[in-house]
Amino acid sequence: MVEEALILQDIHIDDFLTIFVSAGLVLVFGGFYVGIYTAVKAELLKPWIMPFAYIAWLCTAYCLYLMGSLMHVNDFTAKTLVVAGLSLLLIPHAVYYMLRRVHEENEYIHEENEEYVHEENEQHVQAKNEH
Amino acid sequence: MANNYLTSESKKLATWYFTFAAILFGAQLLFGLVAAIQYVMPGFLFEILDFSVARTVHINALVIWMVFAMMGSVYWLLPDETGIETVGIGLGKLFYWVFVAAIVVVVLVYLFVQVGPADQTTIWFIMEGREYLEAPRWADIGIVVVVLGFIYNLYATGMKGKRTGIVTVLMADMLAFAGIYLAGMGYTDNISVDQFWWWWVIHLWVEATWEVFVGAIAAYGLIHMIGAHRKVVEMWLWIEVAMLFGSGILGIGHHYFWIGTPEYWWEIGALFSALEPLPLVAMFIHVLYDWGKQQGAQEAQGKEVSVVTNKPAFTWFVLQAFGNFLGAGVWGFFHTFPQVNLYTHGTQFTSAHGHLAFFGAYATILIGMFYIAVQNKNGIKVMKATKKSIWATCMIFGGVLGMTVALTLAGYVQVLVSRAQMGATWAGYFDGQAGIWFAQGMDWRLIMGVVTFIGFIILIKDLLSIGSATHHER
Repeated sequence: MVEEALILQDIHIDDFLTIFVSAGLVLVFGGFYVGIYTAVKAELLKPWIMPFAYIAWLCTAYCLYLMGSLMHVNDFTAKTLVVAGLSLLLIPHAVYYMLRRVHEENEYIHEENEEYVHEENEQHVQAKNEH
Repeated sequence: MANNYLTSESKKLATWYFTFAAILFGAQLLFGLVAAIQYVMPGFLFEILDFSVARTVHINALVIWMVFAMMGSVYWLLPDETGIETVGIGLGKLFYWVFVAAIVVVVLVYLFVQVGPADQTTIWFIMEGREYLEAPRWADIGIVVVVLGFIYNLYATGMKGKRTGIVTVLMADMLAFAGIYLAGMGYTDNISVDQFWWWWVIHLWVEATWEVFVGAIAAYGLIHMIGAHRKVVEMWLWIEVAMLFGSGILGIGHHYFWIGTPEYWWEIGALFSALEPLPLVAMFIHVLYDWGKQQGAQEAQGKEVSVVTNKPAFTWFVLQAFGNFLGAGVWGFFHTFPQVNLYTHGTQFTSAHGHLAFFGAYATILIGMFYIAVQNKNGIKVMKATKKSIWATCMIFGGVLGMTVALTLAGYVQVLVSRAQMGATWAGYFDGQAGIWFAQGMDWRLIMGVVTFIGFIILIKDLLSIGSATHHER
């Protein structure tokens, strides 16, 4: 029985430049997506800029598709690229959600502590006056 | 650095580590320049300091200066994080001198003995011949002993003092860092098996334990330089640890494409390599978000001043987030899939990625730690940049970026000519290197290497003089 061998299909010589540029742009657009998303959420940019983040992600997805098809990736790697693209879309949302919760919790505790200290001080002053 | 406000013995030891790291950093750049000149003028120092020797010192100095700076960084942050002096600091100091002496002897042997009789004598006393880890066996054993002492310092201090999230991560990470080194110490005459274990050290250091280390250092820096909330920063750190180990460990598959390992590594390598940039993106958000949040909170209180207490160090920390994303992320993603790696493997593409990734991910943040040490050593409350620190930053970062672009162009020619057109033949190898684009790429790499080296000299001058500048807040 002859074992099945995995064979890589040759890449056309004219496609190399497109492959390298699109591979580079995957993360450049991905960086724009994450950067804009984070900056809008952190209120460093206006909310109307947010759609540009998703446009950048669409560009990322297209570059992944272009790169994958020119490289002649097999089915498994094609699925991998889809997972990577979707992960890039979802991760900033998940991370931001967790960040916001931790910040809220921290700020709440911080405010609560300050309130407590303030009340204690007032009671202390009142007791001193009465005395 | 005449003034010395340091009272902690651990921090003093850290400055010793940083000083020797800076010296080795200089050696790395100097021997890199020699190798770059030899690409342009192949007869340069022929039979005196051949390319093979210059390259060996260049890449080994890179690894060792970073290891020194990492160990220094741990000794630096331990008293701050645990609230106590590092346990067994005398042992730490003794091992520091042992380590320095061993490195000096190894480098002298590389330079003056160079080659051996190609038997066990060579492996034990001259070099083992594995790229990046060429230290002879006696030095290997010495390194293991020194690192065990370092691990003792870290664990004893972590268990006795307060154990923050940063210290816990470092305790786990440094144990893995030390343990993985053992994988590269065995000997086998089967090159595939040898490469299989060698990659454990190189890949699992660089794309797992070192990345986690810089995550911990970035967390420490954000807390101390911009006053970020510890709880938020540490939560981030745990996410990064999970993502880095989750994608990085099996990302090793992208090194197993062509060394004689089974073909299933193509699929494993492709899957985890595609996920590897995600934590780098997360780290990028981390720094941006915390900086924006802290600065916003400051401005909401009506204070327009910057929250950053050490401008030069923070600049290097931000450059780390950017450089890591660019060098490890973008330049790594170029050629991480087996379909394209078949053509790029072993070309200057790999070299371009290596230069920007090592620099962007590690050199930047470690230089940032040098500045943090200088700030504290001189009792400075808010340290501002000087003209020298701005010039050094621009020249070093611009120089490395320039080298990377030049090497990428040279690598592109090799991909097209040597691999795609001529099918990786002997003639193809030489035809690829004879092309005008390749030659010009090498010229520009040398020019940008000189720019980087001048930037390094300015950096050292700045590190030695910035503490006495009068425009800082004390």
